[in-house]
This record gives sequence, structure tokens and C-alpha cells, in this order.
Amino acid sequence: MFGPIASLSQLNRADGSASYKCPATGYSILGAVNAPIELPARRDALKPEEATVEVFVKPGTTTAGVGERYVEGILRSVLGKIVLGREKGFPRRGVVITLAIVGGENVERGDSYLTILPALLHAALLAMISASVPLSMTFSATLLGVTKSGDIVRDPSPTAAKAAVSLHVFAFSSKNHLLLNESEGRFEFDTWELVRERALSICQGVISSDGDVTMDEGTTSASLNGFIRETVEDQVYSDYAYKLDSI
Amino acid sequence: MASTTTPSNPTPPSLSLPPSQFARLQPHAYLLAHLSPPPASNQPSIRANGRATSQFRVTSANAGSLTHTNGSAVVRIGDTAAVCGVRAEILHTKDIASWSVLQASAEQKFDKSNETGVPESQDEEDKGHIQDLNLLVPNLSLSTGCAPGFTPGAPPSALAQSLSHQILSLLHTSRLVKADDLRIWYQPPNLDSEEFHNAGEGMEVDTEESGGPEREIKAFWVLYIDVMIISLAGNPFDAAWASVLAALRDTKLPKAWWDADNETILCSDDVADAQKLSLRGLPVSSSFCSFESDVAAGWRAVVIPDAEEQKQKKGAQQRWILADPDGYEEGLSQERVSVVVDKENGKTVIVKMEKHGGWTVDSDDLRHLVDVSAQRWDEMKRILDQC
Repeated sequence: MFGPIASLSQLNRADGSASYKCPATGYSILGAVNAPIELPARRDALKPEEATVEVFVKPGTTTAGVGERYVEGILRSVLGKIVLGREKGFPRRGVVITLAIVGGENVERGDSYLTILPALLHAALLAMISASVPLSMTFSATLLGVTKSGDIVRDPSPTAAKAAVSLHVFAFSSKNHLLLNESEGRFEFDTWELVRERALSICQGVISSDGDVTMDEGTTSASLNGFIRETVEDQVYSDYAYKLDSI
Repeated sequence: MASTTTPSNPTPPSLSLPPSQFARLQPHAYLLAHLSPPPASNQPSIRANGRATSQFRVTSANAGSLTHTNGSAVVRIGDTAAVCGVRAEILHTKDIASWSVLQASAEQKFDKSNETGVPESQDEEDKGHIQDLNLLVPNLSLSTGCAPGFTPGAPPSALAQSLSHQILSLLHTSRLVKADDLRIWYQPPNLDSEEFHNAGEGMEVDTEESGGPEREIKAFWVLYIDVMIISLAGNPFDAAWASVLAALRDTKLPKAWWDADNETILCSDDVADAQKLSLRGLPVSSSFCSFESDVAAGWRAVVIPDAEEQKQKKGAQQRWILADPDGYEEGLSQERVSVVVDKENGKTVIVKMEKHGGWTVDSDDLRHLVDVSAQRWDEMKRILDQC
């Protein structure tokens, strides 16, 4: 199975940007972050002691509709919680995240937005790291589907997601907190716990019996948290290449 | 809390504040003081609105409140009130641009599922028709002057739009409405058989004659589900969904048939002919929010402990999960949990579960919340059955 593909700081004019492509679901997201910036004419809506996080989701072929409003609300509440909005220079200002869906199937009216949610979350996180927005923790997210026969499928394609009995999106922080859970379809709580366990192992890598995360070559690249880390490391390495050469 | 003074004995203006003023000035400390009273005072931990943590507000429902709709309901949960009206309109298949393509692909699927003998093919077909043709159109309006933050007559706010989407998406995933109830069929007369001469009108709806021409779908009912939140005091989704549920249970569709001579759909105006929708299950939604004792925990980067550590020393960061939060409590918490459950033969099935906005609620709490939601289901069923 192919892992996701991501690269940082592709756009010149934005403070930070990232592109993220998930080959399994086919979605490709381009994210841009501007922070901290003055939000014009929003004085009344701003909290005096914190930064305001704004998220905009642009679908590939149409204008944004009610589904986008919904997913923007979820992203805002997840990202707003991990942004350190009280750092110097951030209160009363805005962190504006724009996510454009540049590839993948369209999400029609009334369709579930869960299939695209992990890709949006990852693109937003990488773009915020690229913009050097202070964060209290990083996270990784995954989509799992439960088929009629009870199998748990990782990253089902849009057609497979439609056929699935239940769909689950989980986001785990780098410290194993459950940050986000969105589940729909018909399922029981025991099924949900199985799916949660599977999602945790996908996000954090295989946890061995003594509670340590095994850090072998194979497993780190397989875990999504490791993938986020590696992407950022690669970017830092190329950014500071001139320093490394001079040593 | 406030000492009552007798009017006959005027006291000099004191420096203490009445509780209502304290609630406005220090909302977080006010709620926290209610939830964690000093151990010496022997007071139970109770919310500022007088409810226990897992207690829902008083709920009432009334169906059939609007006369000009096919079905309607008013649901009131505490001070949050939602009115829902369901209006049915006819959608001719000749007006659906992609109808012939859709039908062809549906027939193919039907053949395939016949071969494999999957019993759920009917369900899948239902989902396809309702979703592809947009037969359910919910809309939620908050611009009614329901709360000071929402200007009447303003364009739909982001909250209203996302609630509309949540209702639509829950209608689709719970497959509440059966597509078969929304179809208007036509059985073409069998011109070869002799029965035709006796049949008179020859448009029986439910005849399964073999050998005759296949019956076909001539039109669909489209249900426009409009929800108005007339008063908003927190937790709009539970109230809106309960009103949609009550209105759909109340909805009656008139008997409709295809008139071959006029080439149009005719409806019977006899109420006795009208049929109620047969809904699948009764998904009931319950929302919760998590109130944290230390608001600063989120932005002090160094102090966030690992998930495991957090579990072990519970006293470090206290938090309460409040069921059915009112507007005051919603303003003080970021983490939201929403659980939609249904019961099949006494067994609890989760239809939707979502949580976001924080990291204090995990599987143990969610398991408990599912149990609380299951109890709420019994309560809501009783209320909806009575209305």
C-alpha cells in the first residue's frame, strides 16, 4: 500500500503552505496558512486574549456549500484547540487556513464528508508547521471503514466508503490523546473500540507489550505520526542545507 | 448563597455581588464553584442551572401543530424550541435529467444482487434513490431572532448551515425514510389479456401480474423539511433532530397515482387514503460538553501530559461531562460530544458518534455516554409516542 505524499512550503506568497495527497482515497489537498494577520472588520468577533482560527475549505469544482461549512466547523474546533493562541503576537489576530481540494472525487451534497477529513487535517497541520504557528502538539488522523463482513478497512476509496456499514475518522495527538472522533453508520460500541485500537496503531505505530513505540525503520515510516515527522524533517534538512555544507 | 435582607431593615450597600452578577462577570468560576463546592459545605456537585451532570432538560413535543404541511412538530428542550414542517412535492421522473441512465444502472445492480441473493439490496437501492435524487431537503433557520447573537433576516450563519448538513447527513446515514414510501408507481394495463376489459381504469398500484408490462416509477415525493429554531438556549442539534423525527412520524402523504389519459399525477383529497411514512427505527440524538476546571491547560504548552499519565492522576485536571448543555455552559466549554443511538430489540446501536474540540474525553467516557444516551432514548421514545 502506498503511503501519503506531502511537501511543505510550495506557495511563495502565503506564510506557510503544504500539499498533501493520499493515494488510497485519491484526495489531494493544497493548504495555505497566514498567521498572525489582522482580520479586517472582525473586531467584535475576536477574543481579546486569544488568536482566532479561521478555516476555509474550497471544493475543486463548485462553490462551498453546507457540507464545507460543517467540515470547517470541525477543523476550526480541532485546530483551535492545539494552536497556542496566547503566544506573543497572536492575541486579537487571526490564523487563517485555506484548504483547496485540488484532486479526488467531488463530495456531493449530502454525502458524508468523513472520507476527506483526514487529508484536510493533515494538510492543515503541515501548512501550520510550515508557517511556524506555535502548536501545543501535533496529531495524525485516519479513516477506517467497517465492511458488511465486519472487516476493518484502512482508507477506503469513495466507492468502498459508500458500501461500508460504518465509517470512522480518528485523530490522535502525538501524546496519544483522542482529539477527534467522527463515526457514522450502524455499529456497536465494541466494534468502535476495535476500530479505535486499529486507528491508534496506524497513527502511532505498533506499540509493543512494554508500552514503548518500536522505532525500527519499517514501523516509523508506516505510522502516520512518523510520516508527519519525516516530512517536516526533510523540509528542515533542505532549508538548512547551506549550513550543513559549511560545517 | 445570597443572604436575604428584610426590606424594613435597610443595610448599607454591601460589596458582595448577587449570584446573577457574579455569573456574568466570572462565568467560569461561577460554574466551577457549583460543580466543586467546598467539602465543608456538604453541598452536592450540581450545575449552575440546578441539574445533575447527566440530567437532560425537560422535553416536550407536540405533533401536527401546523395545518398547511404534510407533517409538523414543535419540540421544546428546556428553553430551546424548534418547529419543523414537512412539505411533500411531486417530482416527475420526466423532469429528472439523468433518469434513464439511473434506471438502467439500477436495473443492472438489481440483476446482480438477485444472483448473489443479498437481502440488503433493497436498502442500498433506497439509499441510492434518496441520495442521488435529493428526495430529502432539510433546511434549518436560525435567523428568527432566537438568540441575541443572530440577527433576524440575516443570511444563514455558518452554524445554521452546518446544522442543516448534519441533519441531511444523518437522514442519509440512518436511512430513516424508506424510498418505497416516496415512489409513485404506474402499472400499465395489460392490453393483451381479457382482464383489461373488466379492469376499468387499469391502474392498480399494487398488482404483481406476471406476463403484463412491467410497472414503472412515474414520480417521486420530495420532502422539504424546514426547521425553525424559534428560541435558542444551547444544544440546537438535539432539538432540531427531535423535531425532524417527530414531524416525519407525523407526515402523511396523500394517495397519488398516474393518470394515463391526462398524463399527469393525480392525488386523492380523501384523508382516509393518505398514508403515513414508515420509518426505520428511531435514532435519538444526545449532546454533551466537557467543562474543564483549568481553562489555561490548553495553552500552557509544557503542562500537557501524555494520555496515559493523564489517566493515572485524575485529580490534576478535573473536568465534568455535562449532558444537554444550555447556552451558558456551551460558552464555557470547547469539547463537544454528540451520540445518536437507536435500539433494536432492546439492543443499543450507535448511528453516529462524534467528538471534537478537546482531548479529555476518551473511550471510557464515551462508553458511559453511550449508556446515558440509551437511557435518553427510552425517555425520548416515551415523549415522541405520546405527542
